[in-house]
Amino acid sequence: MTEALGYFLSSWIDPGLIGLVAAGTLAGIYVGAIPGLSVTMAVSILISFTFKWDVHQALALMCGIYLGGVYGGSRTAILLNIPGAPSAIATAFDGYPMAKRGEAGAAIGLTTVVSVIGGFVGIGALALAAPMMSDFALKFDSRDYLLLAIWGILLVGSLSGESLAKGIFAGALGVTIGTVGLDPLTAEPRLTFGSMQLTAGISYVAAMIGFFGVAEVLAQVHDIKLKAVRQDVSKIVPSWAMVKKYLPLSLRTSTIGVIVGALPGAGGDIAALLAYDHAKRSTKNPSRPFGEGAYEGLVAPESANNAAVGGAHVPMLTLGIPGDAVTAVIIGALYIHGLNPGPMLMIQTPDLFWFLVGALCLANIFLLIFGLTGIRIFCKIMEIPKPILLPMILVLSAVGAYAINNNPVDVYWMLGFGVFGYFMKMYGFQVAPIILGIILGPLMDRSYRQAMLSEQGDLMNYFIGFFTSPITATIVVAMALTVLSQTPWWQNWRKRAST
Amino acid sequence: MSNYSKFLGAAALTLLSTMAAAEYPEREVSGVIQWGAGGATDVAVRGMVSYAEEALGKKIVLQNKPGGVGVIGANFVQQQASDGYTFLAGAENPALYKVMSLADFDYKAFYPINVISRANVLVVANKDKPWTNFKELLADVQAHPGAVKMYTAGTGSVPFTTSAMITSLTKFPVTPVPFDGDGPGITAMLGGHVDFGFIAAGAVQEHIKAGRLKVLGVLDAKPYNGAPPMTEALPGLEKYVPWGSFFGIFVKNDVPDDAKMKLAAAFKKAVDNPTYKEMMEGRGNVMLNLSGDEARKFIDRWQSVTAWVYQDAGVAKVSPAELGIPKP
Repeated sequence: MTEALGYFLSSWIDPGLIGLVAAGTLAGIYVGAIPGLSVTMAVSILISFTFKWDVHQALALMCGIYLGGVYGGSRTAILLNIPGAPSAIATAFDGYPMAKRGEAGAAIGLTTVVSVIGGFVGIGALALAAPMMSDFALKFDSRDYLLLAIWGILLVGSLSGESLAKGIFAGALGVTIGTVGLDPLTAEPRLTFGSMQLTAGISYVAAMIGFFGVAEVLAQVHDIKLKAVRQDVSKIVPSWAMVKKYLPLSLRTSTIGVIVGALPGAGGDIAALLAYDHAKRSTKNPSRPFGEGAYEGLVAPESANNAAVGGAHVPMLTLGIPGDAVTAVIIGALYIHGLNPGPMLMIQTPDLFWFLVGALCLANIFLLIFGLTGIRIFCKIMEIPKPILLPMILVLSAVGAYAINNNPVDVYWMLGFGVFGYFMKMYGFQVAPIILGIILGPLMDRSYRQAMLSEQGDLMNYFIGFFTSPITATIVVAMALTVLSQTPWWQNWRKRAST
Repeated sequence: MSNYSKFLGAAALTLLSTMAAAEYPEREVSGVIQWGAGGATDVAVRGMVSYAEEALGKKIVLQNKPGGVGVIGANFVQQQASDGYTFLAGAENPALYKVMSLADFDYKAFYPINVISRANVLVVANKDKPWTNFKELLADVQAHPGAVKMYTAGTGSVPFTTSAMITSLTKFPVTPVPFDGDGPGITAMLGGHVDFGFIAAGAVQEHIKAGRLKVLGVLDAKPYNGAPPMTEALPGLEKYVPWGSFFGIFVKNDVPDDAKMKLAAAFKKAVDNPTYKEMMEGRGNVMLNLSGDEARKFIDRWQSVTAWVYQDAGVAKVSPAELGIPKP
């Protein structure tokens, strides 16, 4: 135990390592804030630099970037309605409306605090229950992934805006966009029309930047003469009473984040969407209606996506299986440093495990410090006159889209989706369900086919699994309750029961 | 002669003389990795490139251009200038682009600077399964058609090709469950959602050491780390082995010879680095370090074996005979 504590603290007492964690966290916030520049990319570029360093130094830097980057995505989501990363998509739903009310400072402050809470929940779960959680995550069958994806897609109902039909249309469009390219299971081209570029599929980050960023810019040209909203930056750090009020929701959604993050087939983006859905369905009297700047709509996804970081480390450290794209790159880095990530890693090098837990904790503390400073300057972005701000966002979007895969085609997609998204907005379609479809469509497609193929196409056996597998049964019951609790019968029954 | 034309003449002369004097490499070289960050190809290249930089004397800048089984990255390199300043860091996939009609070129359009290594393919199973070797697995599969679930991945992948080799020789009535890559496939095997699979040694050896997966055989004619050769159970496999995915460094065919030679020398030295070799061998790779004609011979044989297995399995989009690929 004392040994573990020693390893845990090794990054806390070495000034060099503290500096690296701090530098990584700060850099991560900016990398995460710029759409298209992803943590995955930053970490993989770092590998070439840090490859001759000591493994602890390399990991300290990567931990900081990872945690800072997941948080940083919220900045642009709140200020510009462009999520810096897919895991910040749900943050934009209520964060941007808050900024439009002049509350960007308060939104970023609250985001920072709940991100740090989420981060600690994730790290705590990693430190205390990693082996148990990874055994649990392995039990998730394709059938369970399918149910999770369906659960997520139910969110279309909440994001449709004025018309459910339009929301479903947008969601279905997203699913279609997500199927373009080589079939992930058979490598057969789908909807590629013989084009070599289309075989690579349509990058969902390019779609995200287009639908959120460019479409928003075009929509804002309508009121370009409107004076920018003055941002109230007097109250940035949320009050103790406020933190206390949202703590239960933050802890609940952090739990969602840890579990989804630990699943090898799902990451922070899906965790944040599920958490948002949970907040929307479980909050009876939100501070404001969801979608118009509800605090709950900010607390849920931001707790969940930072908790997912700790979760994603679970399969990586216990099994050598990546929990998401970033941990996949970190696994590569461990190989290059001569380590063998896998089930033996924790047994052969327990120091590494506790070192990582310690470094993640340290990064989380730096996140709180860096997150709460400099907000005033960030908020000024909102006050830049639109004729200057809008072109800047366009340039940033183009750079971000190119940076995804260094492929100019992504820039064309981004622009095309931007113009298309603008017209959709004009005709009362919401763009959020499209992104939801692009993210969840491939997961549904893949897991449905895997589930059916492993039952040799026998639908009967497939449904028997709903009762024989405890995990599936639990998810089904939870889903049924979620749906049922929204029906008028249930609400009537509740009313009668309480009187 | 006006001053202006004098100036032009002088400028042209300077340009010519610098062109003659300039020696490759005079600036940084860029490498395009055709698979994503953190993947096997990515690790294989990033683990070695700083040694190649030392040997070459110039910086090497790597970028990942993944997508479409690597078509995007390989195509990008084909479209760059033939000056030797852009190379492709690729895996085996481009050898089959024409057969699978994914692109209108294959590795014949590239000059192999270095074929780094070849992977050993293992047949592994969940630890709770009764089989101890491939022979028992094969007998069980044939006795109970459809009862055994096999991990597979898309056309062109290692598990797909290996099972195609087996079905070209005997009945192999498994229930294949496709996953998008080894990572998800191994996860499913660990969780008991599929029973066995053919996977490159590097991806599974830690799970074997930990006793979570067990190895039933190796796709080779001789044993590997205690794994019995699959040819023992199925002697027909001998004509295909040794077989496994490979990594390499490639440039366009019409790159000047001088640049080719310098790159080949630099990468030969880099791949020979003991630290790198240890890392790669530790990941279950067989080091090859081939360049030029030797490398070409290796790729041609790999292409011929694999293309004809696909033709026999009925999945080749274009017949290898039509493409002038000889039978193995």
